[in-house]
Parts: sequence; C-alpha cells; structure tokens
Amino acid sequence: MIDIRIRKNLQSAQGRMDLHLDMSLAAGQFVTLFGASGAGKTSTLRMLCGLMTPDAGHITTTQKTWFDHRRHINLPPQQRNIGYVSQDYALFPNMTVRKNLEFALDKKQSGTIVDELIDIVELGELQYRKPGMLSGGQQQRVALARALVRKPDLLLLDEPLSALDREMREKLQQYILDVHRKYQLTTLLISHDVGEIMKLSDRLYEIQDGRIVREGTPADIFGLGKSSARFRFTGEVTGVQKADIVYIVTLRIGHDQVKIIADPSEAADLQPGDKVAVASKAFNPVIRKI
Amino acid sequence: MNSFSGHITGIRTHDALALVTVRVDPHTFEAIVIDDPETSAYLRTNSPVQVQFKETEVIITTAKAPVVSLRNRIEGHISAIEKGRLLSRLTIQTAIGNLVSIISTDAAVELGLEKNSPVTAMVKLNEIILAP
Repeated sequence: MIDIRIRKNLQSAQGRMDLHLDMSLAAGQFVTLFGASGAGKTSTLRMLCGLMTPDAGHITTTQKTWFDHRRHINLPPQQRNIGYVSQDYALFPNMTVRKNLEFALDKKQSGTIVDELIDIVELGELQYRKPGMLSGGQQQRVALARALVRKPDLLLLDEPLSALDREMREKLQQYILDVHRKYQLTTLLISHDVGEIMKLSDRLYEIQDGRIVREGTPADIFGLGKSSARFRFTGEVTGVQKADIVYIVTLRIGHDQVKIIADPSEAADLQPGDKVAVASKAFNPVIRKI
Repeated sequence: MNSFSGHITGIRTHDALALVTVRVDPHTFEAIVIDDPETSAYLRTNSPVQVQFKETEVIITTAKAPVVSLRNRIEGHISAIEKGRLLSRLTIQTAIGNLVSIISTDAAVELGLEKNSPVTAMVKLNEIILAP
C-alpha cells in the first residue's frame, strides 16, 4: 500500500498550477494516471521518485515514509526502491544487455535475478549484445528488466511504449503485465492509449489541472462499463464510409479489423484515429468452434 | 442508437439472467440481461436507467395488434423517411419521443410507408441495453 497526499505549486507554460493529489495504491495494483499534457502527471512521478519535493503532504509505503513535510522526512531517490521506465531507454551504450542489468544489482544481491529477468523478457539470445545493436522494442525490454532488478516497491512507467509501433507496443504490454503479476508489483503507469489502459490497469485516475477529476476502473471511465452490453471492446477508428443511408465504420480492435454499421447521427463525429468503445448485447454474437 | 430515460419497475431473476421491466412513460420496456442486483448496483426497483437499442434492431409493422413474440411495441407515426437504394431510415414520432428505425427499402415499399403513416415499432427484449 502506498499512500500519496501531496500538494505542489507548479509553474508551467500555461501559468501557475496547484497540484493537489490524494490517492492510494494497493499492493499489487496496476494504476494508470491519465490526462492531457500539462495536467501534472510527470510532476507526480518526479515527486514519487524524489526528484521533486512537494510543498506539503506525505508519501508513505507500508514499510517506510518516503516523504513527510511536517516530520521533515524526504528520502533521496536511491533509498525509495523505485523502478522507473520512460520512453527514453537510458541504457549504457558501452555495456552488454547482461552488464546493463548486472550494473543495477544491489551490492548484497545475488545475480540470479538477472538470469530470471533475461528469461522472462526473452533476451537470452541478445544478452551479450550492446544496446546499439538492438531494436527500440528490444531496448525497451532491457530497460524494463533493468528497472526490476532490485524488485522495486513501486514500478513507475512514464509513457514507456509511446515511441514504439503498434505491434511492438502490444508485445511489450504483455511483458509488462507478465512481470507485474509474477513479481506482484505495485505499478503506476502514465498512458494516453485507451486500449493499453484497458488491457493493463486495474484502476484509473484522470487528472486535470493538477486535480483528480475522475477515478474508477477503466471500463467505468471509458464508458459502457456499467451498461448491460457485455460484449464490449475498445478500438480505434480506421475508416468511416457511407453506404446507402448508413455508414460502415472500420475499427481496429487488437489485431483484428472489424466493421460496424452506424447510424448517420453516430457516424457524424467519428474520424480515423478516434478511440471508441463498441458494445453489443451478449445475446447477439454467434459462436462456433474452430 | 435510440436511447430513452426511464426507471426500473420490476426485476425477475433466474440463474444468471434478469428480466427487467423499465417504465418510460407511458410505455413499459422489457429487457433481458446477464446481470443481477448483486453484480450491478443499478439493478434496483425505482433506479433510473437508460433504455438503449440500435436503429437496425427496430422492426416495423402497420398491423394494429400483430400476433408475434416481440415484447416491446411502441406506436407512433412516421415523421421523416429517407429511402436509400437498399435501406431506409424512418424517424418515428411516439409518446416517448422520436425513435429511429432502419429497415429494408423493399419492406418500406411493400408496407406502403410514407410520411405520417401510423406504425408500431417493435424490439426484441434481448436487444435492449440497460445503462445506468
């Protein structure tokens, strides 16, 4: 359990903003922060890491107090046991994959965790290569494995997959989910990708101008969650085509391309790139063994 | 999507299914859902709920009291009709507000549907989505 109550007066390009957050992350939970840029998401991660000091409040874990304004406690980043992955892999270019991971080991720590992580993120064949020889997705797997070497109390993911193409993103999402479950991590993700959030998160906080405006499960927040339509997915519009008096909306849902008939009143505000929720009653789909 | 606000007047459950009646004055809708009052907080008598159904699920008849299995029947008259080559879009003015039906143009012609025609719109109860 990580309890976060922080206030911080931030100076941004848009002017002053009073960041005021009150949230708790249950152990083992996968939580996402969602919101427009400038809403205070990255500042929140920086304060959790200890790279920025809140003006007031506290950050406490079950074992330790990381920050407490009243008690003048402010642990430096290295004492907080946080794993951090951003879209900038920040690997040591002159070290092999294995050495990058070993470098992150604590002095007292055995090296078996390195073998285990190399195995989980399937870097076995690449472990003696240097980062420059790897693709973006492979480098991000190394960065993810390295963040886990010390078995962090909190894993912070700052839009880690936004620089990767869709297929690689989906693969990495699965690795993230696998390690989150295997190591029973408490994970905090910043993401704008609705599909990614739906796939990974247990809980979602939407931040606007430094305040939490909504919180709940991704399904509740992105709509349709509480409806009785049980056959539901999120996808991205790839095309809207008029056909007679209706529209055919083409969607990408995971790896699949699907088509949906929409009334002109619904198709009017859809365009390629829009994230959408689709739903149908559980009574409609037909099922057949393949 | 057609959407109307109402409130729940009755819930009959059996196994994991619930047959819910929703009053959208002066009509009563019936919907069958795989939710029950324990899994879905909105499933309570008197709870406000949206009744939703897709335009393409609305069946049209000109008969007064057709002997068919459809549970949801709303009378009205056509306030607008847009005939396409294959499909036609009817806007029907009813006591609960306008609803839209998309049916085949051949059917619209065979039924002699025109603006102001009196019709009954019908929806199967398994096509009705309930949303709090």
